[in-house]
Amino acid sequence: MWGESMKAAILQMEGTNCEEETYIALMESGFTPEYVHLNNLRKGKAKLDDYELIFIPGGFSAGDYVRAGAIFAARLKATVWKDLVKFVEEGKFIIGVCNGFQVLIELGLLPATDGISEAPEAALMPNDSGHFECRWVYLKSQSSKIFTDVPEMITLPVAHAEGKFYASESVIEKIEAQKQVIFRYTSPYGSTEYPWNPNGSVNDIAAIMNPYGNVIGMMPHPERAYFPYQHPDWTRNKRDTGDGYYIFRALAEALR
Amino acid sequence: MKVTKIVEGVYRIHILNATDDELMEINEKMGLALSLDEMKKLRDFFASLGRDPTDIEIHAIAQGWSEHCSYKSSKPILRKYIFGIESPHTIVVMQDDAGVVEFDEDHAYVFKIESHNHPSAVEPYGGAATGVGGIIRDVLNMGAKPIALVDPLFFAPPDYPYEKLNPGIKHPRYLLNGVVAGIRDYGNRVGIPTVAGMTYFHEGFVNNILVNAGCIGIVRKDKIVRSRVDKPGVLLVMLGGRTGRDGIHGVNFASKILSEKSEEEKQAVQLGNPILKEPLIHAVLEANDEGIIYGMKDLGGGGLSSVIGEMCHAGGVGAEIHLDKVPLKEEGMAPWEIWVSESQERMLLAIEEKHLDILHEIAGKWDLEMSVIGKTTEGSVLKIFWYGEKILELPLDFMTAGVEYNRPYKIKKVKQMQEIPVEENYRNILLKLLSSVNIGSKEYIVRQYDHEVQGRTVIKPLQGEIGFETHGDAAIIKPLKDSWKGLAVTVAANPQIGEIDPYWGAVYTVDEAVRNLVAVGAKPHSFSDCLNFGNPEREEIMGEFVESCRGLGDAARYIHIPFVSGNVSFYNEAFNRNIPPTPVLMAVGIIEDIRKAVTADFKSAGNYIYIVGDTREEMGGSEYYRLMGYKSTTVPKVRFEDMKNRTEELLKAMGEGIVESCHDISHGGMAVAIAEMCMGGKIGAEIDLAKMEFMRADFKLFSESPTRWICEVKPENAERFEELVKARRIGQVSGETFRVRDGRRWLFNVHLNILRNAWSSALRDYVG
Repeated sequence: MWGESMKAAILQMEGTNCEEETYIALMESGFTPEYVHLNNLRKGKAKLDDYELIFIPGGFSAGDYVRAGAIFAARLKATVWKDLVKFVEEGKFIIGVCNGFQVLIELGLLPATDGISEAPEAALMPNDSGHFECRWVYLKSQSSKIFTDVPEMITLPVAHAEGKFYASESVIEKIEAQKQVIFRYTSPYGSTEYPWNPNGSVNDIAAIMNPYGNVIGMMPHPERAYFPYQHPDWTRNKRDTGDGYYIFRALAEALR
Repeated sequence: MKVTKIVEGVYRIHILNATDDELMEINEKMGLALSLDEMKKLRDFFASLGRDPTDIEIHAIAQGWSEHCSYKSSKPILRKYIFGIESPHTIVVMQDDAGVVEFDEDHAYVFKIESHNHPSAVEPYGGAATGVGGIIRDVLNMGAKPIALVDPLFFAPPDYPYEKLNPGIKHPRYLLNGVVAGIRDYGNRVGIPTVAGMTYFHEGFVNNILVNAGCIGIVRKDKIVRSRVDKPGVLLVMLGGRTGRDGIHGVNFASKILSEKSEEEKQAVQLGNPILKEPLIHAVLEANDEGIIYGMKDLGGGGLSSVIGEMCHAGGVGAEIHLDKVPLKEEGMAPWEIWVSESQERMLLAIEEKHLDILHEIAGKWDLEMSVIGKTTEGSVLKIFWYGEKILELPLDFMTAGVEYNRPYKIKKVKQMQEIPVEENYRNILLKLLSSVNIGSKEYIVRQYDHEVQGRTVIKPLQGEIGFETHGDAAIIKPLKDSWKGLAVTVAANPQIGEIDPYWGAVYTVDEAVRNLVAVGAKPHSFSDCLNFGNPEREEIMGEFVESCRGLGDAARYIHIPFVSGNVSFYNEAFNRNIPPTPVLMAVGIIEDIRKAVTADFKSAGNYIYIVGDTREEMGGSEYYRLMGYKSTTVPKVRFEDMKNRTEELLKAMGEGIVESCHDISHGGMAVAIAEMCMGGKIGAEIDLAKMEFMRADFKLFSESPTRWICEVKPENAERFEELVKARRIGQVSGETFRVRDGRRWLFNVHLNILRNAWSSALRDYVG
């Protein structure tokens, strides 16, 4: 419905592992997704320029044995950094989910409060619980320019060991002032204590974008909640679509 | 031990004139774990050839003859009871590394469960991680995409006193946390969801923990790859990890009892690398999509020795191998070490020469090493070369056929008795049960595993209102994007009943697997069995094995569910203590439309609560009796006909969409099942025990009689439900408490928050 031109690159390296569900969600929402392995970018067999959207999926790139996302980011910087910057500057969209969010922070593409930063301005630290956790969270949608049609409260799964959003007070202030927060952890019971805020993120931040709104990072996984029956409570609460659908639809509409 | 050097790293071992003592010295020094009779058989064979063997020849034979590879103690019993249950859906049964069963017209599912007990007892983190890695390869090598993992675990109670531990034995809390972390760090990294499992505590596992791991995958029928090569001239290619000294003699290690010296055998534990496995999975599946894989087998127990031996033997060809072509992790490895190394993340692919370039291209994209190490040949002889020098020449049937034993066994007589407890405060008993380690919440473990990756998990391991979930009975995976058909996956085991009566313990395990699948609306379809036992050289242990297999076979045969794959783990003995007999089942069910799946959480106030199946005064092996310290050998007995009928009735009702929630009754009985349904639904229930059979209230509440479920039905569907299912209406969903009366006598009334608090506290202090 949006034409063939909306090509989306799903970046891969060893250890990325949410690519299949990402592929399906992108395809269902009108993109033409392709898997793009970093080795093929490096060898010139694929070019970022050919795509409208870059999706950096979740997983454990290179094992995440050092800081999560650090090696993925370092390899991107070493191979296609100029192309990536050009991509952002042209106003095309990059979204990183989970490990992908960690990569975007490492690259300085997020939060990028004053434009792309040399060194990371923020961090996704180890969860307060000290270990990996897989659970569903409630998210409160902040009014942001892209995600205007997302319902006020949605649920998505998180699955990570390092997802506590953290930055200096001044950076947090700037992020808030520039309305860069897209989603915050919440709950229908008023509380945002653990486990509702699953990792201890500052200001319950679950997802942010850059000031221009074309680089997006989020810890929860929209691609795992595209269809209603992927939700954990579908036998209790009826839905027409999964809550992740709204995120992909918003991306598609932003690129129309 | 007399030896002569042939070339660097290869020795001729002089056994032709060896005495019995000398044979056993060779056995000990080379770490073969063979018996004297087997050593003699080896000597006689080489005597018939008129020459002494090389070291690599002896090692190759010892691998093939190990209990782990040859099933020498178990095979006659397995043939009698477990094999051969007819089913129209099976495609590959008990032949290759995993069973293959029809899913739909075009697809098959592939699965297996396997033990990784010995390594995990010595090195819990690495042992458990490689257990997961190994089982993934078993599914992958059939050409299938792995889509879910399960992991039943067995430990001593986490509060076991330190001072009671034997020397060299690690504390259950250390082992539990190490194993969970190992599964977490491997399974999550490799991107396969862990969707089911169990964590069970029993003193009998203090010296020998059990770590079983299962994997299921999906494959297009025309892409199934077999673990055999039936044509000479096909290239044998190693793909993936390098070969090192880790995991040498793993199979021999697994065929011995553990002792305080086991720590020194850490080199028998392999090291896993999920970030090598993840691209390996991609590469293998891509190569399979290209249709270039002629045969494939993963390198697991026994290393190259087992894989090449079994692959060629199964296809009726010989092979010529050049061991110097194997990429190594470290220099200076002797050829025999390369031949038996169990280093992880390696696959052996049989590829025709014309397809080699395509494989090169794929391996390059994923940064994987590959090496052609030999090819298949006419005949049935294996030849190994080391820099041009022939160092092994053996007929494959001698090397792989192994031996078989009809081990003597003794079946113990169970004398029926049952103590009758003094009636206690039911509320306290319920809360104690909920906060006990076998019944209490496993959320702390389950949530450390990613059960959502791949986006296929449509019924989760934890079910109910977000933030208040309860234990589900089975998970459901939706393997194909364009089909509503689903695969339900669960595991079952009950060592507590098996310990009293191995036959009924095994039957109960089948019943529980069936109950779990039916509870989510799936029709039981096939089983994989992981049989964990003590030392088979002891007659009473062999007796437990025979009785367990008979029980599994009787129950499964009655309902026509085949065992399609499995593994036997013997020698779970240390310090003269054997584990309780623990046959574990991984069970798979089919649900035609996942939109009809049912979960365990109560849905809404006003709905009726039914109990399906009959309750009996059979308290042997129950959590209630264990908790209270009462004795009973009267274990729950399954009525096969009831199991079959109730299953069919309930599935029919679920198919009509009139069951709102369903939970099987197992550990802790009906009271625990209903409490869990309340917690998951964040809603209470009122129950009247007078609607059940006539017996003591505590028996009704806590009996673990088999073939029973609790169902929630809307009042408007009650008539239809009662028409279809033999069930008793015992109450209603309502309020914020769980209230139970027996006629006019109120037994207890507990608020949901109190139930949840007790249930959540069970493992809170032990895991994390």
